[in-house]
Amino acid sequence: MESKAIIEVSDLKKQYHEADAPAVNGISFSIRENEIFGLLGPNGAGKTTTISMMCGLVKATSGNIRLMGQDLQTSFRNLKMHLGIVPQDIALYPSLTGRENLEFYGAMYGVEKKILRQRIDQWLEKMEMGSSANRRVESYSGGMKRRINLIAGILHEPKVLFLDEPTVGVDVQSRSTIIAHLRELNAQGMTVIYTSHHLEEAEKFCTEVAIIDQGNLLAQGEAQALVKAHNCSDLEGLFLKLTHKAQRN
Amino acid sequence: MRKLFAAMKKETLLLLRDRIGLGILFIMPMVLIFVMTLIQDAAFRTLSEQGIPILLINEDQDSLGFKIEHGMRTAGICELHTTINGEPAKEEQVAEAVRQGKYLIAIVVPEGATAALRMRVSDMLESSLGSTSEAAKVDMKEIRLVIDPVASKSFVTSVTSSLREFITSVKTQLMFQTFNEQIGLLVPEGSDYTPAEYDGTLAIGYKEEYASELAGSKTPNAVQHNVPAWTIFAMFFIVIPVVGSVMKEKSEGSVFRFHIIPASYFLQINAKLLVFTGVCMVQFVLMMSIGLFFLPMLGLPVLDLGNSISGVLIVALATSMAAGAYGVLVGTLAGTQQQGAILGSLSILILSALGGIWVPAYIMPDTLRTISEFSPLNWSLNGFYSLFLRGEGLAGVWPHVLKLLAFFLVCLGFTTWINQRRTQR
Repeated sequence: MESKAIIEVSDLKKQYHEADAPAVNGISFSIRENEIFGLLGPNGAGKTTTISMMCGLVKATSGNIRLMGQDLQTSFRNLKMHLGIVPQDIALYPSLTGRENLEFYGAMYGVEKKILRQRIDQWLEKMEMGSSANRRVESYSGGMKRRINLIAGILHEPKVLFLDEPTVGVDVQSRSTIIAHLRELNAQGMTVIYTSHHLEEAEKFCTEVAIIDQGNLLAQGEAQALVKAHNCSDLEGLFLKLTHKAQRN
Repeated sequence: MRKLFAAMKKETLLLLRDRIGLGILFIMPMVLIFVMTLIQDAAFRTLSEQGIPILLINEDQDSLGFKIEHGMRTAGICELHTTINGEPAKEEQVAEAVRQGKYLIAIVVPEGATAALRMRVSDMLESSLGSTSEAAKVDMKEIRLVIDPVASKSFVTSVTSSLREFITSVKTQLMFQTFNEQIGLLVPEGSDYTPAEYDGTLAIGYKEEYASELAGSKTPNAVQHNVPAWTIFAMFFIVIPVVGSVMKEKSEGSVFRFHIIPASYFLQINAKLLVFTGVCMVQFVLMMSIGLFFLPMLGLPVLDLGNSISGVLIVALATSMAAGAYGVLVGTLAGTQQQGAILGSLSILILSALGGIWVPAYIMPDTLRTISEFSPLNWSLNGFYSLFLRGEGLAGVWPHVLKLLAFFLVCLGFTTWINQRRTQR
């Protein structure tokens, strides 16, 4: 039985004041519950704007987003608790320790103190960060920062997790750990929406992908099915076929 | 409430780990108070206690010369010297001595000044008594003043006023003596006419009264003026770390998370304000303790907190809140950390100058004086002056406190409005 849509995006458009062309040009798609949804596109395609509108950070110029059956615009306050976000830039306090950062963000989500402590310990252990949790974030490697950045977004166990290039700039080990735990979260029922430039990673990781470019949705569906439908050898081939080889700024 | 405590804990940890920021918050203001009070105390003493060095050459060696010498010595406005390097000063040396900065003013009372005055008085009396004898022509004598160009106009005026007073006094005395002599000549021999003694007391005097009881017993001094003034300045300089804190959250991405976590940004702002208001209050206590305990060790007067400690704390709290909220507003307005730091520090410098921290507002031109009434630092300073100098109680500080609280609310309102607009762009 096909699961129901947890996010429905219809005719979504974003026109920034200072830009000539819209960043997102009337795209529509839906994401089913418990999906790992990859939003792919070259630089400047509109991925971050789309994801920012989907998690309420940026106001759409027009169009509609429904999240868990509720209008995002009008019910954003109620929906916040169910959303988790792992931003592309590390959003942590460098002079606080990893644990202090997690305690702060967990408390902001209203997670009960005892439960929060358990979850923090659990996740630090899973992410192999237990021994360095009491060190300041500024002393961490890029991969360690990414892992703490991820934990900060999931401590409140959101229903929908947005990840904007969560594995950018990290080594293979850190990437593998992050992906493995995202799979685990998804297995526990969390819907994951993810953007990435790592097409091979996306092909293996995502249950469904959408390719956007210049604010337009070019394709959406299960990765292998799309590759086959467009007579390509892999997702990268499909990506280049749809978005062409011209350099993007 | 737990969210607020968590946010306050985070702010406190961030603050404690920023050693340079802590230095700016606590050490710099303390150094500032020490330095400014000592410097300004020297200026106060120069004007009132130790005196400005003035050289007097008394070539008259008669009533006027002696009167000026005695008067200048006892007037308490200067330190009078009559010798240069232990040798009696000569007129030809004065210009060079003043040019070298040894004396701010040199006064040369010329030879025969009293004689000229006496002759002038005598002429006037003879003329008014209808004497027919032809008056001898009296040469006008000039008291020469050699002034260092750095001398303030007000000080020069006070010296010339004193000289004028001494001349008038001697002239009056001479007139009285000459008048007595003339009367004596007119009164026939054998009469029991006894000349009256000259009574130098004035028929009309003046009495200094202060507009409050406390001020009458307490002379404003460098400590009473500088400790509150520089404390306010330092408290408002908390704007810099507050701006830094807001800007860091913007640049490090935390603000990004704040928009989607189920805790309002207002809560983060409140946590920041609570922590920084606390810091301001600690700053305040430290700086007051400098005035109370440390400056007296350096021979400076003890700071007098007036009659209302609760008033002092309320003004301090309102000042802290206003300073913190202004910092948050500047941090919200600024696009980059550099912009915020420049905007914050320059605006505080301007507001402090306008507010009467550097120079009293009453000596400013009319327009600036009017503008100064809009500076929150001026409200705070007037609040403390009401307590420390005017001897007022809690009732006297409310107008200033209410202005500071209104400023706090306006800053907070603007911050919230700007944030709401930016979040939903």
